[in-house]
Amino acid sequence: MRDNKLKYVLVLPAILVVFATAVWPLIESLRLSFTVGRLTKPNFPQGYLGWENYTWAFLEEPAFWNSVQVTAVYTIVTVVLTTVLALGLALLLAPGGKFRGGMQTLLILPFAMSPALIGVSFRFMFNPEFGLFDSFFGIIFPPLAEISWLSDPTLAFVVVVMADVWGWIPFLTLVLIGGLASIPQDTIEAAQVDGASGWRVFKDITLPQLLPVLAVVLILKAIFSLKTFDQVYMLTNGGPGTATQTLSHYIYFNGMKYGQIGYSSAVAWLMVIPMIFLTYLYAKHVFKKG
Amino acid sequence: MTGKQRKRFWNTIQIILIVIAAIIMITPILWIFLAAFKTHVDVYQLKLFFTPTLENFSTVFDAPYNLGDKLINSTIVAGVTVLFAIPIATCAAYSFSRFKLRFETSMLVMILATQFVPAVVIILPFFVMFRDLGLLDTRIGLILVNLAIVMPFAIWMIKGFIDGIPLDTEEAAMVDGSTRIQVILNIVLPMAAPGLFTAGIFCFIIAWNEFLFALILTNKDAVTLPIGLALFKGEEGDLWNLLSAAGIIIMLPMFVLALIIRKHFVQGMTMGAVR
Repeated sequence: MRDNKLKYVLVLPAILVVFATAVWPLIESLRLSFTVGRLTKPNFPQGYLGWENYTWAFLEEPAFWNSVQVTAVYTIVTVVLTTVLALGLALLLAPGGKFRGGMQTLLILPFAMSPALIGVSFRFMFNPEFGLFDSFFGIIFPPLAEISWLSDPTLAFVVVVMADVWGWIPFLTLVLIGGLASIPQDTIEAAQVDGASGWRVFKDITLPQLLPVLAVVLILKAIFSLKTFDQVYMLTNGGPGTATQTLSHYIYFNGMKYGQIGYSSAVAWLMVIPMIFLTYLYAKHVFKKG
Repeated sequence: MTGKQRKRFWNTIQIILIVIAAIIMITPILWIFLAAFKTHVDVYQLKLFFTPTLENFSTVFDAPYNLGDKLINSTIVAGVTVLFAIPIATCAAYSFSRFKLRFETSMLVMILATQFVPAVVIILPFFVMFRDLGLLDTRIGLILVNLAIVMPFAIWMIKGFIDGIPLDTEEAAMVDGSTRIQVILNIVLPMAAPGLFTAGIFCFIIAWNEFLFALILTNKDAVTLPIGLALFKGEEGDLWNLLSAAGIIIMLPMFVLALIIRKHFVQGMTMGAVR
């Protein structure tokens, strides 16, 4: 076979898989979002509704707005906290050597852990009777000793954020260490010889050079924060009440527990829109390099 | 303070901070490891020292939990997903790497974008379709949807590896009369093998840890390990010692795999955005 034909034959299976597993479900869920789509009733999807599912979400469902708010706050807080802490840790570990190198290896572990399991382990740690963190926070701040973290709406949200930040710091740190390693050392050394303080070197040399990597990290983390489901499901299952119900959890609940496929597809598509924007930003970064 | 003293001082502070970070990172994992070897009674006390027992590990494999079935499901689902994903991804990656294609950028962006589509969006139509086809609660169904999440990683990772293989050996073989297919099989594949292996492990970890698809599509026969964790919610609350033993069975193999490919982990996740 000639190359100019073969090259398309080679990509065909992959493109077909991507179409079948991503493009088709996207289009199909868009179609379903305009239908009644009740799983429990016969003749699924029971005819078209127009925009009714969307207007229902916007006008009649405080729970939808609650999950939008939870997801927005959650995304902003986790992105900022994870990035700042990971940057700090990356700066600490970047010099390398045996001790710091060993720590870098250790960072792989939380990342290989299933997010569902991270949820379980944090529920364990914050158990009011015998949780380790629960006792620990009780010792450093006694008024917290008697508090059951996961039954308080605000504190439960804090725990979900902690679990997320804990799970993502390692990956972000490793990416940022990679970014720091690619900054030419001579400018930094020259500045140090000239007597610039550590903070000045960081602010004027390191940070500007790290910005492209930092941008990638921020976008990627925002995408994963927006999608969050596994830890929330295992840790609080959206509760207490709906205090930690993210959009993914809200969609899952309406679709699977109440069988409202049409309505939850509409909400799912509302979630795709910010995702398209973030993916566009990410793709721009990837192809600027190429 | 003199310059030297100040440097020593800062170095000590740094080491203290790193140690604190290490403790925070390792504690939740360590706590699960400890609890897995505790008896039911010991879990309810914050004991660091206790008589370890292996009983939890045998209990989770017995009825009614039967974690062995879930272990088999997870292994087959993740394994077969990788076996399909890697060859398909390798063909595509070679083509993207070596040729100019029409709509090349659009195709690559599309592949990249699929990774960012929320899993809840993808799974609703699949649930409806699988319900009609009788594929709910089957491994085949799970493998099909898992391809959706590993494919973009596999293509981008392998493309990165093939980009790194120099062209001259290939060109020399072509001049000597080899066909393109022969070049791919005899030259590119052996050279890319470590990369394919790395991508395979990476995808295996992702498929193994996958949660939402399995939660929605399975309920009895095809349940995977992460979903199996829900089994240990007893009537009197969570059975933490059993949960922890199951947790170890889920995470320990992935730790080993992750350490094998640790150098490529970051590249895999960022799909070439960070080198």
